[in-house]
Amino acid sequence: MGLLQGATELFPVSSLGHAVLIPSLLHWKFKQADPSFVPFLVLLHLGTAGALLILYRAQWVAIIRGFFTAAFRGQIQNDNERLAMLLLVGTIPAAILGVFLETRIKSLFASPYEAAGFLIANGILMLAFELLRRRAERRSTLQEEEFAQAERISFRAAALVGACQALAFLPGISRSGVTIGGGLLAGLRHQEAARFSFLLATPIILGAGLVEVPQLFSGGVPVGEYLAGMVLAGIAAYASARFLLRYFRSGRLDPYGYYCIAAGLASLALLRFNL
Amino acid sequence: MKSNTVAVGLGVLGIIFLIVAALYALGVLQLFASTTSGPHYKHAILFVVLAVASFVGANFARPKTV
Repeated sequence: MGLLQGATELFPVSSLGHAVLIPSLLHWKFKQADPSFVPFLVLLHLGTAGALLILYRAQWVAIIRGFFTAAFRGQIQNDNERLAMLLLVGTIPAAILGVFLETRIKSLFASPYEAAGFLIANGILMLAFELLRRRAERRSTLQEEEFAQAERISFRAAALVGACQALAFLPGISRSGVTIGGGLLAGLRHQEAARFSFLLATPIILGAGLVEVPQLFSGGVPVGEYLAGMVLAGIAAYASARFLLRYFRSGRLDPYGYYCIAAGLASLALLRFNL
Repeated sequence: MKSNTVAVGLGVLGIIFLIVAALYALGVLQLFASTTSGPHYKHAILFVVLAVASFVGANFARPKTV
């Protein structure tokens, strides 16, 4: 589960969808109502957030410094300060929607059938993002490397990309997929859209994890096994992020779109015929 | 948009958010919470973040004298 969560959290294929589908398809017995299940998920998320913090450690130091400098000065003077404010603006809508809607939405769509359906929808979304992007490329005659860096995105676009993260409360819709897609529509090049998506995800994943930390100290939690899961999730997330940043230098979202559609259809068939 | 009125408005909004955060953290406020008792730290942290964003916005909106 640690490897699965860590890898699928950053790939645009929905970690939540896979976390619902794979145990069901492989007949793993998880009691999601068990009090120790939430701490387990919390640790997996902390592992992923830790991997992203390590990957972007120098950038996060610059972003945090830029945030305080710009906040006290009341003015943005460089790229790090602008990126810090963009991340704040992008995080707020996702945080509001997450706090007020996440539990309700997740409880509405927790079955493997719905996860498979949303996985297909996620695949169609990825293909649609790429279709719109290709149309924009043709219209403006811009090459991939001529599209913008994350720091150049507008504040309105950052808020919209941030709000898109709320779609990921539906199991099967990928947080990184919709934010990378949103970044592409806002005019970012693929690699920059992925970088903005990962930076945007870090405070949300870390914050949601840290808030739940006290639950780890409740009785009956096998801390050693859970910590091993966290480390595996972190390693998988780090490797995934490195791979994706390299992939998006020239790669596109289409293969993930096709994968999601195929995986969703295959899952529906397997679930339907109880294989 | 540089204006003293906007800056003061955002400052007041920030103070209101801080009060709401304190009420959630103390378990006084239960609005839109999943349970009807106890403190709601997630909500409290959200309102602290909103307060910080409001204060930052207020400082940005304040007309600067160079």
